Amino acid sequence: MKFDVLGRLAQLGQFVLGHIQSIGRSGIFLFLAIFSRASFKNKGELLIRQLYNVGVLSLIIVTVSGLFIGMVLALQGYSILVSYGSEGAVGQLVALSLVRELGPVVTALLFAGRAGSALTAEIGLMKATEQLSSMEMIGVDPLKRVIAPRFWAGVISMPLLAAIFNLVGILGGSMVGVDWLGIYEGSFWTGMQQSVDFIDDVGNGMVKSLVFGIVVTWIAVFQGYDATPTSEGISRATTRTVVYSSLAVLGLDFILTAVMFGEL
Amino acid sequence: MRMRTVEISVGAFMLAGMLALVAMAVKVSGLTTSGSGETYELTAYFDNTGSLKPRAKISMAGVTIGKIKRVELDKDSYMAKVVMGIDSKVDNIPIDSTAAIVTAGLLGEQFISISIGGDDIYLQNGERFEDTQSALILEELIGKFLLGSVGKDN
Amino acid sequence: MNTISTNQSTDNSSDVLTTDNFIEVRGLSFYRGSRVIFNNIDLDIPRGKVVGIMGPSGTGKTTLLRLIGRQLVPDQGSIMVDGHDIASLSRERLFVLRRKMGMLFQSGALFTDLTVFENVAFPLRIHTELSESMIRDIVFMKLQAVGLRGAWSLMPSELSGGMNRRVALARAIALDPEMVMYDEPFVGQDPIAMGVLVGLIRKLNQALGITSIIVSHDLHETASIADLLYLIADGEVIGRGTPEEMLNSTDPRVSQFMQGMPDGPVPFHYPANDYQKELLTPEVFDEV
Repeated sequence: MKFDVLGRLAQLGQFVLGHIQSIGRSGIFLFLAIFSRASFKNKGELLIRQLYNVGVLSLIIVTVSGLFIGMVLALQGYSILVSYGSEGAVGQLVALSLVRELGPVVTALLFAGRAGSALTAEIGLMKATEQLSSMEMIGVDPLKRVIAPRFWAGVISMPLLAAIFNLVGILGGSMVGVDWLGIYEGSFWTGMQQSVDFIDDVGNGMVKSLVFGIVVTWIAVFQGYDATPTSEGISRATTRTVVYSSLAVLGLDFILTAVMFGEL
Repeated sequence: MRMRTVEISVGAFMLAGMLALVAMAVKVSGLTTSGSGETYELTAYFDNTGSLKPRAKISMAGVTIGKIKRVELDKDSYMAKVVMGIDSKVDNIPIDSTAAIVTAGLLGEQFISISIGGDDIYLQNGERFEDTQSALILEELIGKFLLGSVGKDN
Repeated sequence: MNTISTNQSTDNSSDVLTTDNFIEVRGLSFYRGSRVIFNNIDLDIPRGKVVGIMGPSGTGKTTLLRLIGRQLVPDQGSIMVDGHDIASLSRERLFVLRRKMGMLFQSGALFTDLTVFENVAFPLRIHTELSESMIRDIVFMKLQAVGLRGAWSLMPSELSGGMNRRVALARAIALDPEMVMYDEPFVGQDPIAMGVLVGLIRKLNQALGITSIIVSHDLHETASIADLLYLIADGEVIGRGTPEEMLNSTDPRVSQFMQGMPDGPVPFHYPANDYQKELLTPEVFDEV
């Protein structure tokens, strides 16, 4: 047991530098994937296939979660608001919390777990089985052919998924609130419509989910591309994708909320 | 053949996403074609706006006719300047109308209520309410009551 | 790191091949971190020949192929491929040059989301403007050459390991390259598949004059088809010559590898403390 201050310090430095380096590498990686021209023809087909893998396959989990979250929000909101006699505000509560916060954030978290981890594993496996190298040897840039369509599919899918999540959640809320708990339908929807602003609430929520889409997909494809090409490396990369993107989503959500709604 | 099902489901997914967005615009945020677009601006100066916030509603006879755009301090008069966006359809607010900051219920949010005056001339875009009524601050009210000054003022 | 004296193999300078070289490697050094993978090596791959590059596992044989394909960039030295210094090529020119190089990866590296047909058609679709019917003909020709025309509609996951590698070979030769690099083609193959592959490599070389580089540690198979063998160990070329010359080499390191002896200049034991001492002092673990 030696007390090695200098060694620890050097280790810390290495650690920090290593992380800064990987941020830089992932930035260059994203830049190359997006901003260089692709030479092959069937770009559209590749994008559609990835939209299917990333978007359509995430649809079920997003819809079901949205429904339940909306229903729970209505139930919880009702039980509190009813004691103030203002159960008519349940619609407002459900819609605002979904549109501003829960929609983008929960969709992004589900997306990271469902599509992000799948992307990382898929790309990592392609690396481990030398598919990326062989693509390069054939003369196709894997950044263009493999990474770019996946990235764009993620960026496009996320806001759409969040919109669907929101709508299903609100419908779930109205099912519980109006049909089950008996809130007057008019006050449910009118209260909602008066408090929700399309640009400030729905629009900002969509901006959030667009940002989350970029960040989560970026992390997922980079972790896959950067994975150590062994089974252990891939499983670690998949875990990292979920952990990093969840943290990034929650952290960014705070920053975005502060910027968007902080002045109100 | 397999590509076809993929394409169809992707198309359906994109369509569902767009529709959800449209539904949120119409059903959730109550965005209608005439509703939010055209407004004209009126201003009012208050001694105290209390907790009045941008986007609070402006009502006339209980009906919402607009939203507050900005609340800012007028440096010269030390008063609060409130800029309102009024629905263009409501273009006949008499020039001697009163803008009052009222509270919805005891603890509810504050909004501006407009009481109609009797003049034939109507307020135009950019003009201001001459007659205003500041927010009721509960603490001040209680303070005054305790000092027995209520009623002596007027 | 290498305690063995670096006696340059004498047969290195004996026969200077006067034939035209497809690849010339000069003074190549490559490091991975502080680990030396190659230390100033020279290598020639004569045009139209089958060259085996052999050496113990972990000596960076695959790395050498990646350096030749410029998936990695050397720290020092130059690599000339078909008269071009690949380090100085632009990305576009490099991709043009890579069309002359096919590569068979150790795992086959077929694209798992494409059928056998589409895998072989992939380089054609990328690099040529051929019509669909032309592509079809070429793909079936290449698949016929490796004996898998009947498997054109299967997915890679439905193929056995040997078939997988044969499809990969068909893909590697789809663009009629001048050179094919084989990365450990015999690893994990049953004797039949191995024999098939050996036959295919030889046939491709003889019929089409394709320069072939075989990176392998399978001594017998490689020696049976190679015209020239290089033996790499400790980041250096320790032996070079025809299979016969190599088998009869007197260099202890070469003969240890060629005869497959467990102990020799390449030690059997991982560096360790004295055996006797370690057995007698159980507290040795605490000292670490």
